[in-house]
Amino acid sequence: MARHKILIAIIGISIITAFWITYVTLNPDQNGTGMMKFLSVYELRATQESSRVRLGGKVATGSIIISATDKLDASFDLAQGEASIPVKFYGTRPDLFKDDAEIIVEGNYHSGMFNADQLQVKCASRYEGTLRDESSYNLDEL
Amino acid sequence: MIPVFGGLSLSLALGLSFIAFIILFLFIRTGDYRFYLAGWRCVVMVSLFSILATLLLLNELIQSNFDVDYVAHYTSLETPLLYKVTALWAGQAGSLLFWLFILSIYCLIVLFQNRNKYTQLMPWVILVLVSIQFFFLIITNFVANPFSPTDVNFIVANGNGLNPLLQNLTMSIHPPTLYLGYVGFSVPFAFAIAALITGDTSPLWIRSIRRWTLIVWMFQSAGVILGGWWAYQELGWGGYWAWDPVENASFMPWLTGTAFLHSIIIQEKKDMLRMWNIVLIVLTFSLCIFGTFLTRSGVMSSVHSFTASNLGPLFLGYVFFNLFISFGLIIYRKSDFKSKRRIKSFTSRESGFLFNNVIFVIICFAVFWGTIFPVISEAVTGTKITVGAPFFNQVTIPIGLFLLFMTGVGPILVWRRTSKQAFIRNFSLPIAFGLVSLLGGIIIGMSGYVIISFALIGFVTAVILEEFIRGIRSRRKVQNETVITALISMVRKNRSRYGGYIVHLGIVFMFVGFTGRAFNQELEFSIKKGQSQKFGSYQFEFISLQELERPNHFAWVAGLNVWNDQNEIITRLSPEKRIYFHRDPNPDRRQPHSELSIFSTVFKDIYSIFSGIDIEQEIAYIKIMINPLVWWVWLGGWVLVAGTLIALWPHKE
Repeated sequence: MARHKILIAIIGISIITAFWITYVTLNPDQNGTGMMKFLSVYELRATQESSRVRLGGKVATGSIIISATDKLDASFDLAQGEASIPVKFYGTRPDLFKDDAEIIVEGNYHSGMFNADQLQVKCASRYEGTLRDESSYNLDEL
Repeated sequence: MIPVFGGLSLSLALGLSFIAFIILFLFIRTGDYRFYLAGWRCVVMVSLFSILATLLLLNELIQSNFDVDYVAHYTSLETPLLYKVTALWAGQAGSLLFWLFILSIYCLIVLFQNRNKYTQLMPWVILVLVSIQFFFLIITNFVANPFSPTDVNFIVANGNGLNPLLQNLTMSIHPPTLYLGYVGFSVPFAFAIAALITGDTSPLWIRSIRRWTLIVWMFQSAGVILGGWWAYQELGWGGYWAWDPVENASFMPWLTGTAFLHSIIIQEKKDMLRMWNIVLIVLTFSLCIFGTFLTRSGVMSSVHSFTASNLGPLFLGYVFFNLFISFGLIIYRKSDFKSKRRIKSFTSRESGFLFNNVIFVIICFAVFWGTIFPVISEAVTGTKITVGAPFFNQVTIPIGLFLLFMTGVGPILVWRRTSKQAFIRNFSLPIAFGLVSLLGGIIIGMSGYVIISFALIGFVTAVILEEFIRGIRSRRKVQNETVITALISMVRKNRSRYGGYIVHLGIVFMFVGFTGRAFNQELEFSIKKGQSQKFGSYQFEFISLQELERPNHFAWVAGLNVWNDQNEIITRLSPEKRIYFHRDPNPDRRQPHSELSIFSTVFKDIYSIFSGIDIEQEIAYIKIMINPLVWWVWLGGWVLVAGTLIALWPHKE
């Protein structure tokens, strides 16, 4: 008897939570921060998606403009190859944010401008990429 | 020369592990004990050579031998000694060698501790362990060799240096602690597989690894918590858990490992759940390897992931290989491992444990689902979906609260069956406690999950206190002791039980901290030297701006006096804006870094970030966060470790 009760309870709990997980997967929270599309610059330009998305790309060299009156106010271009999208971001920027950094922004695309409220820098390429050249010497060049 | 020896040790270890494999197999075929001894010695040598290789790499790191590519990548001349050592696990090749290093130490402990014990199980245990070593040796020899030299055309005058984010004391202990946990699960896994192969259905294997599992679990818990602590102190987004794929990777084996820790008690005491325990440990070990895969393969975009590498398929293949073999064996032995005994009642402690297990596995599944969902959705629909922290919070909060509820119910349930009277007697006080905290919460205006959480915290705390008080009372009745001596002798008599309760108390404290997150506040502002900024009931006065040059960086230090509403200075915060590699002639290569300053109290943390600076105008850009109750998370962590240590403390035999 007890065995059946326990078995039923376990199956019950599993079914309820399975429904719960499915429900949350299909209906992520209202602000759309739970799940969102992750697009590249090309894809966003092609689809003109207006819902909240994550956008990945490289900061176009020389495009960063920081407001003279408020240093938290920044705008820059996010590039992928030849294509780029202008981005506005207000807030504390990560330390590694700079020209050519690979970043991910989160926000909405509206009439040609991406308004981001989240900004993440991918990884510090310095620590994974090629060796520093300015203090090292390539023998072929000497 | 030394790098050559390092590479040589790794090759020797690989060759010997292969030989050990063959010899142990011969022993199993022939039963000739000399083969066993030879195999045993072989594995000792494999472990010693792996350890030697690690020490040699460590030597190169400390000596800054930039002819080794790894050393040039992760250290520089100005890296402080401590961080030269921690660079050992900062990069891919090094961290995989470090995995092997810890596994080898564990291996030696197992080999020597069980030299003349478990003669049936041990050959298989050793075989499984050496097969894991073999896998990591293949990788460190052929795929990610930490001793591979720098490009021959290149003379490296100075290395790249260690990422400043990793130059933090917590960060120097978080990875090794986590690794001690992760890697340690190889041993219970090896014993489980040995039990399966030999068909030994007794709880013998459980008994031999119970303490081991507890130690490993303690390291793993501490490692996960330290990771959160590091993120909180260093990353500057004000939180400690972001549900990042790599964080999830460390959390999933913790969940199944914790379930395992609970369910082996049932097998030891009641000889039930035999197969379930084996399934749990197989899952836990596979999730540990899967975690390494997530961290190292670059499949998931994550702050932790390293540039994509060719390791992904290898690790994934290894996970599947393990699962295939393990579940093959499980199916093969299914009928032998059927427990003869059945759970007698729905309201028994056995069934409580069972439900706790189910909940742990369900949470693990939910986290797993959210973690791999981006990959699934991309494969099915073609668009990449990212799953953010709100999804995980939404899914796991109700299940987590149910688990917290079970933490309270479990200990009150009696083995076999809980009678109605016992139910009423044991539950009335905790339920009253829970209701009082519920009402208190309503009065101060809380709602939603927060209030449920506080009610459950009250309930579970009362259960734990009641257990202690009841124990002390009954001892005092018989022994006529003082409260303190009764408490001490009671805990001493039954360490694992009361240690367990203390661990539960730690978890309750952590829930207090998690619940505090609902009340976080933040403000970003610019401030000129001499001015003040109001935020909440505090006033922040920017009083000083200092310039400092330290050995490996340059720093601006902002002095911020914090005034409360009674016009008293409660603390001075000094967040820093640092520039690493500040002597680098190329300004693009200098690296800014914000060092936080946190004022932590029992009720709330005041968290400050110095995000930007205008030197001429003496304007600082500051972000302040007020994070209530975070302190409790770290307290909970310490209590958890203390409880585990009490449970572990050896008995006087």
